[in-house]
Parts: sequence; C-alpha cells; structure tokens
Amino acid sequence: MKSQLWGLYVREVLRVFRNPFVVLVTLVQPFMWLAFFGSSFNNLAAASGKFGSGSYFAFLLPGTLSTSMLSVGMFGSMSAIQDKRFGFMKRILITPTSKQTIFLSKALGAATRGLIQVPVMIVAALVFGVSFPLSPIEWVGWIAALFLLAFGFSSLFLAVTAPATDWQTPGVVANFITMPLMFASAALFPSSSFPPWMQAISNVNPITFSAELGRSFLLGTTVDWWNLGYLAAFASLMLVVGYSISARWLKVE
Amino acid sequence: MTTPAIVVNDLSKRYGNSHGVLALDHVNLSIAGGTVFGLMGPNGAGKTTLIKVLTGISDITSGTASVAGFDVQKQSLQVRARIGWVAAEVILEDDFTTWENLWLQARLQDIKGWEERAEQLLQYFGLLDRKDDKVSHYSTGMRKKLEIALALLHQPTVIFMDEPTIGLDVATRRMLWDIVTGIHKEFGVTVLLTTHYIEEADALCDRIAIIDRGRIVAEGTPSELKARVKSDVVSLETSEALDPSVLSKIPGVQEVRAQGNDWLIQVVASEEFLPRLFATVRTDQIRRISVEKPSLETVFLQLTGHRIAEEEPMHDIRKFYAQMRRARS
Repeated sequence: MKSQLWGLYVREVLRVFRNPFVVLVTLVQPFMWLAFFGSSFNNLAAASGKFGSGSYFAFLLPGTLSTSMLSVGMFGSMSAIQDKRFGFMKRILITPTSKQTIFLSKALGAATRGLIQVPVMIVAALVFGVSFPLSPIEWVGWIAALFLLAFGFSSLFLAVTAPATDWQTPGVVANFITMPLMFASAALFPSSSFPPWMQAISNVNPITFSAELGRSFLLGTTVDWWNLGYLAAFASLMLVVGYSISARWLKVE
Repeated sequence: MTTPAIVVNDLSKRYGNSHGVLALDHVNLSIAGGTVFGLMGPNGAGKTTLIKVLTGISDITSGTASVAGFDVQKQSLQVRARIGWVAAEVILEDDFTTWENLWLQARLQDIKGWEERAEQLLQYFGLLDRKDDKVSHYSTGMRKKLEIALALLHQPTVIFMDEPTIGLDVATRRMLWDIVTGIHKEFGVTVLLTTHYIEEADALCDRIAIIDRGRIVAEGTPSELKARVKSDVVSLETSEALDPSVLSKIPGVQEVRAQGNDWLIQVVASEEFLPRLFATVRTDQIRRISVEKPSLETVFLQLTGHRIAEEEPMHDIRKFYAQMRRARS
C-alpha cells in the first residue's frame, strides 16, 4: 500500500505544478479574497468595532484560509471524477492498488494542495499590513488546524464522489454543501451578530473552529487549543467515513 | 498441452438487478498460456464485460474465472499483480513525462528495480530518446506504444487489450499488429484481445472465440472456423418485394434470409448460383449484388444471423447516402 499511496499522492500534487494555469489561479485566488472582499469591508469593519482589531484583513485572513480549505476539498473530489471519466481509475485498479489507497492519496493530495496556498496568503496579508506575532508552536498549531480542516473536507467530498457514476451530481452536491458552510461560520464575520439558527450551525461548523483558532493567534486573544482537538476529531470522523465508503462503493467509471 | 492462462467456467454477468442486462450468458473458455486469443464480436456483444470481469473491475453474477492460476474474485490482488491492461482509448498521465508515467506504473505495481526493464521496453518501442518528454506531445502511435510498455513493465503473465486498434488510422493499426505479434514472441505473454475487426482477429490470433449477445457461439483457430463454412454468401438488394420461395427454389441455395428488400442468400457455389439467379429474377429487379467467399465474416453471419458491423453507425451512414443517391436518380 505504501508504494501505491506514495505514487498516487505524488501524482496528485505534481499535477498542480505541471499546469501553469492551475498554479496561477491557486496563487491569485486567495489574494483576490483579501484584495476585494477585505478592502470592501475594511472601513465598515473598523467603524462597527465588532472585529476585534482595527484591520479587517487580520480578521479575514484566518477565515479566508479556512474557506480555501473547503474549496480545495471540493477540487480533490473533482480530480476523482476526472479519473473516472478519463479511465484513469480503471488503470489504477487494474494493478494491486486498493480503493482505500486511492481515497487516501486523493484526500492527502488535496490537503497538501490546500496548504500550498498558506504561504501565498501570508505574503498577501503582509502586503495589506497584517503582522504575524506568532510563536513557533502557534505556527505549527495553525498549519495543523488548516491541514486537518482540508483533509476532513476532502474526505467528505470524496465520500460523496466515490459511489457516484455520473459526473454532475457530486459537483452539485459539493456546491450545495459549500455555500451554507462558508457563510454559517465565523470565517468572514463574527458569529455573535448571526441569528440564533445560524449561530447554532456556526457553533459546530469546523470552519469556525479553524478560523477562530487562527484569529486568536493573529489578534493575540485567548488561544483555545480545544479548537485543534475538535478539528482532529472532525478529520478523523471524515477519514473513517470516506475510507469505509470508498472501500465498499468506489465506482470505477 | 500448455497450462491454461485463463479459465472461465459457466460465467454469467448481469448488470443491475435480476431484470438488468445479461451481458455474459454462461460463458466457458480455456485460453492456453503463450497464445494470442481473440474475442470477436459486434459492439455490445459482451467482450468488454468479459475483460472487466477477468481484470477484477466487475464482479461476477454466477460461475467462476481464473487468470494465471488465481481466482479473479477471491484472489483479485494476485491476479492484478500478474496482468497488464491496454485500454481502447489511450489512458496516460498527460502532464507527466514518459519516465514519470513508468515510475507511477512501477509504484502502482509495487515493483523494485524496474528502471532497467523500463529502459529495455523504451528501447524496444523506440521511445528511449523521448523518455523525458511530456506524453501530451506524443503522437497517437507513440502513446499506444507507451501504454503497452506500461502494461509490460511488471512482466505480466497475461495482457488484456480491449479493442486495441479502434479509431486508429491504417498505418498505426498495422504498426500495432506488428507490436502485438512482437511482444507476444519477445516477452512470452499471453494476449487476450477483443476486436470487432474481422481482419484483425484473422491476422493476429492463434485462436478466436466468436461472442454474440453474451454467448460464445464458436471457438477455434481462424482456419478451423473458416473451414466450418463451406458456402458462399450472396447479398442482394432488390427494387421490389420478392417471394422468398422464388429464391430458395434455385438449385444450390442453402438458406435465404430477408430484411425488407435486403437478402442474404447462402449458396453452395456462387459461380453456379449467379447465372441461375439471373435466369429467375429480372435484372431490373436487382439493385445491388455482392458475393462473399468463406471468411470469418461469413462464419459470424452464419452462426448469428447478423453481421459484426451491423451495429456500427458507419454502416447506417453508408445506407443513408445510398438512399439519398437513389432518391436523386
């Protein structure tokens, strides 16, 4: 399994770098979030006084990074659909490679691709005047939180994609999940101003846990390390779900 | 007697529930090791399904099958470590170089020390000097060659080739025929290929199984199969409806099949039949006539009652144009 996992994982990651357009979009997209969304809200946020610090960019960065992990997970499952459509899934499975290995390589590959965005975003945030007063342990904690979030969502989306035989349903389902998860979280706005029903979703939404952990590092508020534990539990649960579904129901085409 | 590389016993495959399509219907086969075996039949006959079952991609509804001595269902991993697969459409990692594609295949097959073998294969297929090129820059022929090299990398016992020459131009098809014969001799693998091209089965295969609607209707060497058919087939298109008995009464006629004004007449000797036909039917009643000597095509026709190419859209297009021409004249 180790040999196949490494081969397929390298394939997932290398494919990103082999396509200049994908590299460009991966790099530019998070920057655009800060540039457009951040700039448009910066003054309003400062005036409202609800965003902790004066800069909305510092508030937004951990949130945008977290939502990026959500969309990265979606792209991971798209890669599975592509493999089915172009027959690559068949090529893989007519070798001694298990379906679970395919699942793991895709989930890990997508999570890794997500992390590639982190340094780019940090550079972009520096441009917008955000400072990073993090200790090494906090850096590790932040990256780990983002990795767990990306891995969890990739596993979730792959669990939806694995049994699908058509290529439209998983995309529609992914879009359907993405929107509410993004807005019913503390990624873009503080959840204290949400109506109660949205707060209830936000309070269990992993994106909130990742965004708030990152925010506490960045804004110097009290760090709640339990957020990392919650994300680890989320990633583990999704790992079990995705692994079991892929093992039993991964369709070849 | 060579040990069989593939044994299929009373194998059936039904898609979906009990009302689903029966793609394979009690198939029995024994394919000797070191041979090139052809599964010949029209589109939808069950050829690809049989390959899917034998490679472990599809499960079995009933019956058993073994490849290289291992049960395809119970010992799928052992089977998959001993087989190679060449798809109808070329499937490569286009963003990777030739060498990286080989590296990935070696990883998937979990083999060590593959580099020397990979170089030998690239040398054999004339791709060694292109090993660092991205495969997206390759021609169709080169892509096919690389795909076959990937299938051979782990020294498999059996190679499955699903419609290996479909959609290829004549020159590339010829090249591929040489490759199939070549790798069979050079690397000693058993080749199971599917095709709906008669001439391909005839040129490449030591033995052929004719498959139609999920059933094996005949099996043998190409010459054995052709020897089964002693008669010629006359295809006739008439301008008006004819009474079949008019034709079947002509001496030497063995069988008459009609589909509208299209007739398939099986005769002992076409040379003797044609003058008798012209004496019976007015020439203005005949729109088109053609004669086929015994071939794998006529074997298939006699065994199944229809042509291999019948389901091909090209055939319909030709018919459509023929009708257009007639309408204009």
